[in-house]
Amino acid sequence: MFLACATTQPGSAQEAANSDIATAVRALEHQWFEAQAHNDNHALDLFIDNDLVYVEYGRLVTKGDYLLRVRSAKPQPTQIVMEATTVRTFGSAAIVVGSYRETGVNNGRAVQKRWRFVDTWVYKKGRWVLVAAAASAVSK
Amino acid sequence: MWVTLLACAGTLAGYAPGESDSDAAAKIIAMERLWSQAYVNKDARALERILDDAFVNIDSDGNLQTKSDLLAEVKTSTTVQFLTESMVVHLHGDTAIVTGVFLVKGVDRGKPYAQRERFLDTWFCRRGQWVSTSGLVTRAEQ
Repeated sequence: MFLACATTQPGSAQEAANSDIATAVRALEHQWFEAQAHNDNHALDLFIDNDLVYVEYGRLVTKGDYLLRVRSAKPQPTQIVMEATTVRTFGSAAIVVGSYRETGVNNGRAVQKRWRFVDTWVYKKGRWVLVAAAASAVSK
Repeated sequence: MWVTLLACAGTLAGYAPGESDSDAAAKIIAMERLWSQAYVNKDARALERILDDAFVNIDSDGNLQTKSDLLAEVKTSTTVQFLTESMVVHLHGDTAIVTGVFLVKGVDRGKPYAQRERFLDTWFCRRGQWVSTSGLVTRAEQ
């Protein structure tokens, strides 16, 4: 789903531009997912803004903290399945709202948790960069 | 309470002419405080002006809420104290990110409660006016 909220161009032109933004940002979300899964810090560095703020498991972490965690993460039998996302544009920013399911192993037992997230991307110097991300666990 | 401003070099300021980064941050912080007071005062009208019509929030139980949901929630708020701490504003042109922690105390059906939660809000400057476009609340140190 895509929602356009900022209108500065005629309707159809704005819709087309916003649709392009949504496609670009969704592709970046996918790259993020893949890079994290493969501990690919170089790829992450390319689209994460130096001023990133990330609320991960209730803690506020910086880009440096996050990249350090990804780099030092051991292969874990954790599986993440993305669900539906919406993209909203506001000027030079795009906000992605969605959810995912995370399956891991705790004390030998499979544990599944569902999360909802909000990611904010900003267009800077000719490319989209991730400036903020946060997720909250869905209560059963 | 302390407030920090981080302005990101190389971004284009999208806010009102003549408005500095610190002016923009001060406005946003003031609106964050209005937002928290709206819950204490059950003041939906105050919140109405702060939130963009397309605003979405994710609460600490992972529920997705629209602007209408928040306006209804604030009218029946059980909050008696709403303290915000460690707020930091990150400016990226016409977009601002605010992070912080709040402590909420209230009484729900005769039972007192206190919650400490971390938040991340996104703001957008449209025609010189800052509005919040999204928010997320999560239990601190989940």
